[in-house]
Amino acid sequence: MHCSGSFSHLHTGSLEVCGRKHNICMVSDFFYPNMGGVESHIYQLSQCLIEKGHKVVIVTHAYGRRKGVRYLTNGLKVYYLPLQVMYNQSTATTCFHSLPLLRCVFTRERITVVHAHSSFSAMAHDALFHAKTMGLNTVFTDHSLFGFADVSSVLTNKLLTVSLCDTNHIVCVSYTSKENTVLRAALNPEIVSVIPNAVDPTDFTPDPSQRQEDRITIVVISRLVYRKGIDLLGGIIPELCLKHPDLHFLIGGEGPKRLVLEEVREKYQLHDRVRLLGALEHKDVRGVLVQGHIFLNTSLTEAFCMAIVEGASCGLQVYDRVAGEEVLPLDRRLRRLRAHCGPVAGSIFAFVAVLDFLFLLLLQWLVPDQVMDVAVDATGPHGLWRQETSSKKETHSKSATSS
Amino acid sequence: MEDEAFTDINGKAISLDCQSHSSFCREFTVSSSKVSIGKVMVYTCSVWLLSYAVFFFTENTAVLSSAIVITLVGMMLHIHFVKVDHESLLVIGSLGIQVSSNYASGRETTTFIEMSKIKDIVINEAIYMHQIIYYLCVLLKDPSEPNAVSSVVPLFQSSKPRLNCLVKVYKSCQEILSKC
Repeated sequence: MHCSGSFSHLHTGSLEVCGRKHNICMVSDFFYPNMGGVESHIYQLSQCLIEKGHKVVIVTHAYGRRKGVRYLTNGLKVYYLPLQVMYNQSTATTCFHSLPLLRCVFTRERITVVHAHSSFSAMAHDALFHAKTMGLNTVFTDHSLFGFADVSSVLTNKLLTVSLCDTNHIVCVSYTSKENTVLRAALNPEIVSVIPNAVDPTDFTPDPSQRQEDRITIVVISRLVYRKGIDLLGGIIPELCLKHPDLHFLIGGEGPKRLVLEEVREKYQLHDRVRLLGALEHKDVRGVLVQGHIFLNTSLTEAFCMAIVEGASCGLQVYDRVAGEEVLPLDRRLRRLRAHCGPVAGSIFAFVAVLDFLFLLLLQWLVPDQVMDVAVDATGPHGLWRQETSSKKETHSKSATSS
Repeated sequence: MEDEAFTDINGKAISLDCQSHSSFCREFTVSSSKVSIGKVMVYTCSVWLLSYAVFFFTENTAVLSSAIVITLVGMMLHIHFVKVDHESLLVIGSLGIQVSSNYASGRETTTFIEMSKIKDIVINEAIYMHQIIYYLCVLLKDPSEPNAVSSVVPLFQSSKPRLNCLVKVYKSCQEILSKC
């Protein structure tokens, strides 16, 4: 990751956003330095959109000492907002406490489209809710599959129904995921698109000579967390090893559930047959993959296996379609909430929507929009950032922008 | 040189005064708004109403006397430690930067940063309370490590001017810094 410091040199006062197609704000709890499929998807998608000439900013919560505003490659701006993390890197959802900061971001960056990622992220749902209150267009990308039976799924699905019933467009990463999302959130399938993740075939070429022919190797590459089904993996390893004496496991990845695998390995004396590689660099993944015969993925919620794909999708068509849609006024929004989400949940969330609207009015009275400075546009190959950096270096060889 | 109207991040009017002593020595003074009499009245009244309410139930006159003391001491502490009347930044090329802030009571604090420690002056973004704001800051370097930023000194911390004011100060500062 090319992370430069967040110091900006300003020369010109021209702050107008001109010639841009959209100002997009990606919101998710999950972003670098946290590692995973969603994170790299957001990063790659943002880079693609910047190349298309849009302006993109990313909003996530603070990770440890990483707070404030940072810049990544091509002037991609990342806001690490100091919101309280509750569970599994997901922020607490109270519907309201994130509004002041999110409103500030949306206003100062002149956001036109809010793109939320991952249904596990409470911040994404909050942002969708607030964006609708502020009258912005919204897109949601779902990265996970859910069940319908257990309590947590029922609750998450209800939340999803409420937050997606307002959303202009939804993107899923596979057709299974689309079916799942449409059922869970009771959506009109027409507003759900599928943009599957793509593999760069030049990066992942087969190489059978790397395999060892006297044994069968199963490769598992995933983060070792509960959601990825590591307990399940720990359960099947001894059984499979008992049945097939020539079976070997190669497990790449790091996480809290590593202990489970280590215990299993200890208990059944499988040290020579189960190898734990620990955290893998992105470039080393192919080297591990070609050593195996079978790729095993035990994930409980995976919609599209990102372990072997380079997520580089381009959502341009989606955004164009979104731009034409109208944003509902409050009363019609409330009616739709109540009609769509059932009498009880619908009424509750309609009430919450009204409160959110009143809170927004209060904030607009306390800190009017015109008091907020418009953020300097640094994004993209033609953005202020690169020009200013180079001209700065020409005039006097001093640069605070290079990392 | 007070030609433009500047405001701080809360929308209150502030004034920027640029004085050019010579080609390599400039002074910028940001004066914030004075304490409004309305605000003093609101705070005094609320303390007094509260103390009268307590007095009504307890019938202890010590409550009233303590309300007087609290109001007076609070006002004194406020103008002596909190309320900054104006902040100034004196940039002297090849010598250094002097940052001073004058409190409403007349107290003045001054710090001087020598040029060998200064890496640059930049405008940065920060999350402040429930807002995201721009601020001007001096980047310090360790003389032993000239390429790394060792720490950051924010300028105009109490007046918090908005971006247009900061850009103006920034440009003048860079003119001087680029000469030496």
